[in-house]
Amino acid sequence: TGGCPEGPPGLSPCPLSPFPAVTSEQIEHLHRRFKQLSQDQLTIRKENFDSIPDLEFNPIRGKIVHAFFDKRNLRQASDGLADEINFEDFLTIMSYFRPIEMNMDEEQLDRFRKEKLKFLFHMYDSDHDGKITLQEYRNVVEELLSGNPHLEKESARSIADGAMMEAASICVGQMGPDQVYEGITFEDFLKMWQGIDIETKMHVRFLNVDTIAHCY
Amino acid sequence: MEVVWAVGQVGAVWVAVVLGLIVLPSALGISLGISEAYMWVLVKTLEWATIRLQKGVKKPQPQMPQTPTANGIIERDETPMEKEIARLHRADFEFSHIFYFCRKGFEAIVDDEVTQRFSSEELLSWNLLTRTNVNFHYISLRLTVVWVIGVIVRYCFLLPLRFTLATIGITSMIVGTTVVGQLPNGSVKNYLSEVVHLTCSRILVRALSGTIHYHNKENRPQKGGICVANHTSPIDAIILTNDGCYAMVGQVHGGLMGVIQRATVKACPHVWFERSEIKDRHLVTKRLREHVADKSKLPILIFPEGTCINNTSVMMFKKGSFEIGGTIYPVAIKYDPQFGDAFWNSSKYNIVSYLLRIMTSWAIVCNVWYLPPMVREENEDAVQFANRVRSAIARQGGLTELPWDGGLKRAKVKDTFKEEQQKNYSKMLVRNGSIG
Repeated sequence: TGGCPEGPPGLSPCPLSPFPAVTSEQIEHLHRRFKQLSQDQLTIRKENFDSIPDLEFNPIRGKIVHAFFDKRNLRQASDGLADEINFEDFLTIMSYFRPIEMNMDEEQLDRFRKEKLKFLFHMYDSDHDGKITLQEYRNVVEELLSGNPHLEKESARSIADGAMMEAASICVGQMGPDQVYEGITFEDFLKMWQGIDIETKMHVRFLNVDTIAHCY
Repeated sequence: MEVVWAVGQVGAVWVAVVLGLIVLPSALGISLGISEAYMWVLVKTLEWATIRLQKGVKKPQPQMPQTPTANGIIERDETPMEKEIARLHRADFEFSHIFYFCRKGFEAIVDDEVTQRFSSEELLSWNLLTRTNVNFHYISLRLTVVWVIGVIVRYCFLLPLRFTLATIGITSMIVGTTVVGQLPNGSVKNYLSEVVHLTCSRILVRALSGTIHYHNKENRPQKGGICVANHTSPIDAIILTNDGCYAMVGQVHGGLMGVIQRATVKACPHVWFERSEIKDRHLVTKRLREHVADKSKLPILIFPEGTCINNTSVMMFKKGSFEIGGTIYPVAIKYDPQFGDAFWNSSKYNIVSYLLRIMTSWAIVCNVWYLPPMVREENEDAVQFANRVRSAIARQGGLTELPWDGGLKRAKVKDTFKEEQQKNYSKMLVRNGSIG
């Protein structure tokens, strides 16, 4: 893959294909964060994410952590989970949340968008078969609503069913009474998001911390 | 023989200098202006060093708006959950909600607000102490020479001086309070006890080269009240007792600390709890209530956060201190990190290495603000009152407020917090009529 060295690299930026270059400063920040999470080890395991209090709040915490170890996101295989990830893998996952740059052309923008949507798709498709089935979607909704004891499973189900029906109507159009909607494929998923600007919602933007005083 | 005599002479001169220039003025409460001169030289040197640094940076820096490092390294979207999800709303419930939580999750992984409070604040400009700046690189020969001189001054001159002072301070505290403790209870005893405590505090503050600015002295805690302050390090107590007398509250320790505790409690009614007693909250509250009810007793000093935070924020105040009743006198303490980092990172350093770091820093400079007294209102419960006091302290000291518990340094988030967030989210969905 990208050939990014372990540890804080020299002053040249490290291109993580297919995304635009990350600055060396941002890589240093992320590396410091990586060391903090891994407690100075070379790799991170799932347990290391337990030390982040802010993350505990998040109802889909499990799926987010899972996404870090998903081999499809790490571009290593089309299936399976890694046990631990190193800094390069960490950067690969972080790159899905790169904000768009001003100087990108049409093709780059399109690829960018596809990669982000693919990341999201993998989050829903938990059995890695390339389709989001009704059951998988139900799982996600239940997880999002899991904290409320007053909300019954039935309500969560009806939400999921409603959403799937809407998805089906967008992707397949009118279905006959015998037709069964198998699941949302990635192409259908892309269709659903056509025309909607997701790039600005799925990014984490770094602040430009003034480097006047860091003694370089 | 001659060598021993010479060393004895030097030692005597040394002690005489220390006594004359430092201990005596402390006892009388006057200042000879030596600390001020030292600080002036220090400030000039650091300014020079910063200018050298700026010249040394080769690449031109673009003019970026200054963002305080205390806020972290990523731009956080602070829109509340309801607004953000409403924006993403296309139909009743759908894939878009996951965007919000996904992004929040990633923001938390890259930089979380809580963990960064448990490590020292990083300085924007270097103060010639390598420990405060992670990215130390070689800049110029002159700067390195100054740094080496700084090391020599700090370790070979300041450290022994401070160590001597600290020893004198602690010894006189133990001896003084034991002597005063023999007297029968009465106003003479109280007066002498105050004198002893104040003198020793002043000596100890000079032992740390402390420069403290007190603001709003008219709001100083009165007898029969409770003084609450934010907690950054064990020397907070010394900073406050430098200007007034308090009854300390704390656990009984062993070793040197235990000796000090036992000696001081004879002279002044400090409240020391055994470890077993601390577990019993009612007992603790009862004892403190009795103390507060006696209007002739000194105000209690409490640090409600329960642990040391790095002085950029104020964490959750434990409600126990606010259930006792009485008048609360809030105090905000803000250290200036330019001259030395006062934060005690107890997971990284033990108390001895912490004291060593403090004694080899340039100085401890801090501002103490006495805030007007607060009383619990009728329709407030202890938690709300605690939060109100906390806001006042945070606002005055320029610290951010975090709803988190300082105990997170060592433990995990309580499940009740998690469920709160999830409840909010599902309540919102139900409200939007997606169940039907």
